Amino acid sequence: MKKKNFDLSGLMQSKVTWAVIAEALILLVCFLIRPDFFSISYQPSTGMLYGSLIDIVNRSAEITIIAMGMTLVIALGGTDLSVGALVAVAGAIALKFLRWDVLTYNTPGDYSVCPYILVLTVPLIVCALMGLFNGFLVAKGGIQPIIATLILMVCGRGVAQILTDGKQFTTGYSPFRIIGQGSFLYLPMPIIITIVVVIAVALFTRRTAFGAFVESVGVNASASRLSGIKADTVILIVFMITGLLSGIAGLIYSSRIMSNDSNNAGLNFEMDAILAVVIGGTNMAGGRFSLAGTVVGSLIIRTIVTFVYYFGIVAEATMAFKALIIAVVIVLQSEPVRKYFAKRATLKAARLGGQAA
Amino acid sequence: MKNKQTLFNKLTNPKYIMVYATIGIFLIIYAFGAFVYGDKGFTTVRTFVNLFIDNAYFGISAVGMTMVLITGGIDLSVGAVASLTGMFIAYGTSVLGLHPLTCIAAALVMGVSLGLLMGWVIHYLNVPAFITTLTGMFFARGVCSLISRESIDIHHPFFDALASWKIYLMRYADGHWVRIKPIAFINFNVILFLVMIAIGTFILQKTRFGRNIYAIGGNEQSASLMGLPVGRTKVLVYGFNGLCSVLAGISYALYVKSGWNLSLQGGELEVITCAVIGGTLLTGGVGYMIGTLFGVLLKSIIPALITFNGNLLSWWGKIATGLLLLLFICIQRFVVTSSSGRK
Repeated sequence: MKKKNFDLSGLMQSKVTWAVIAEALILLVCFLIRPDFFSISYQPSTGMLYGSLIDIVNRSAEITIIAMGMTLVIALGGTDLSVGALVAVAGAIALKFLRWDVLTYNTPGDYSVCPYILVLTVPLIVCALMGLFNGFLVAKGGIQPIIATLILMVCGRGVAQILTDGKQFTTGYSPFRIIGQGSFLYLPMPIIITIVVVIAVALFTRRTAFGAFVESVGVNASASRLSGIKADTVILIVFMITGLLSGIAGLIYSSRIMSNDSNNAGLNFEMDAILAVVIGGTNMAGGRFSLAGTVVGSLIIRTIVTFVYYFGIVAEATMAFKALIIAVVIVLQSEPVRKYFAKRATLKAARLGGQAA
Repeated sequence: MKNKQTLFNKLTNPKYIMVYATIGIFLIIYAFGAFVYGDKGFTTVRTFVNLFIDNAYFGISAVGMTMVLITGGIDLSVGAVASLTGMFIAYGTSVLGLHPLTCIAAALVMGVSLGLLMGWVIHYLNVPAFITTLTGMFFARGVCSLISRESIDIHHPFFDALASWKIYLMRYADGHWVRIKPIAFINFNVILFLVMIAIGTFILQKTRFGRNIYAIGGNEQSASLMGLPVGRTKVLVYGFNGLCSVLAGISYALYVKSGWNLSLQGGELEVITCAVIGGTLLTGGVGYMIGTLFGVLLKSIIPALITFNGNLLSWWGKIATGLLLLLFICIQRFVVTSSSGRK
């Protein structure tokens, strides 16, 4: 009895628990208002499952993927503001390769000018290199991450616009459509890509010592360096991973709209990704991180948006609504509030113990 | 003589290096513009004054942002709060038929209380400033969209009069004052901008509150151990920044004469860029209003150069701003390493 109470207080102190509770509460409200919120149907013509839940996971794909990298960056004690701009860069490069001939043929057809492999790899390589540039500024230049990545955030969209001459290309190339709109095992392709990315990042950080290195550098970079961890290399790799993941998210985004949109692609993604990580319980000061928490955080953000659309609340209220729910989650997660709950739990346990004696 | 010597010593203090770097690079770019586009009128007073007119709202917001950055915090809500102020004025005057001053008063109450609330959450609930103000940004932007999705024009005699009020710059010739050619003028926004810079300088350099701001940015723990009112100062700084955002919103509304829910999107990062180019360190403790003033001018001279060129895509402006940021970060880095090496 006593032990169980103690465990509960530990759980109440964990930020991930609060995130899961918040998500469960939002879903419960959805269910109470409209029980068919959870219904999932099979559409034989496209071979995909449909339903609000599937839609939430599908639409949260880009943020979840980016937030995986962002979790590692935040665990290092930094922030990456450039991810949204990298999403635009990836889309611009992909469409540039697909539609190099845009001046001669203006109707988007089911063809690609350059080999498909280039369309897929070059954006990812460029984004990874841009991530490496961020990492270089942070690790070798010793610049604060928020400023170092502000540079690419400001420049990135400019680069994307200049790559495409400020034009918006559209394409009808069907293999490219698969990334964002195809399906595999009855599930939309973005969900599959997200699952693969989450598993890959989880394996890379938790099955090797890399995750521990990241946490160690996040807590104290100099101490880690003295204990033999190559802090600079860790920082470089983390920023490169984040760049690469932003590239993947960029391909998914541009495949959804089959076009490049350097102005709006990835707009505010950095904000959403950072929020997802923080709601998921990773401390912005660096240190311990939780990938599972981040996935839940990303789902919370998307659930709120879907909630607003689904229940016919004016779409414009989304932002304000999102802010209110996030404010509640953040206040509940804040240190004084958690300490208060922990104190109450211990007091209760002590009282119960006293009664038993 | 002795007095002059001390003044010289004061000015050559290494803590002003970043400010001098900003002013120096501004002068270099201005000289470049004068050399290349001098024949197109780049050197006229009008071009110079237009730098102020076109960027006054960024400058006003940068005053508050500089203070927030000096405390070691950050405020991402400024663009959204300014936009919301514009919506208040537009919706209030055009739809509800209120007097603009009533709307401005409402906006001031809203902006300052949102700022104070965010400061309170940041200090007393220990939530990172980045996240708190990000939530504030979402909230303000959401309320903007709730008010209206469409852009609303502002038509009110008082507001129009304020927007078109201007002082022509004069020159003394042949015994009487004449307007200089090409005609250049100063409007309400420019005056508000310069007044805010002056108020900011006064607060930072001459008041106890200003010294507390620097102390908190230098080391918050030491400041609180010294018995400085850390919590009160931080909350008030965010409140003051809310005030600056609202004033920036008024200035922007006067500039475009309308309110739009998506206006000034990403404005917060432009404002932060102005402050950083002006020599404010994001780690806190370092920054001067005069640097911010030149930071705003430096950031605004790039679009001006691109306009004078006429052939370049405006996107080069973004890339140039990014490169400028990179340059300044490298200089800052160099200054910080060399000064900490000296210690």
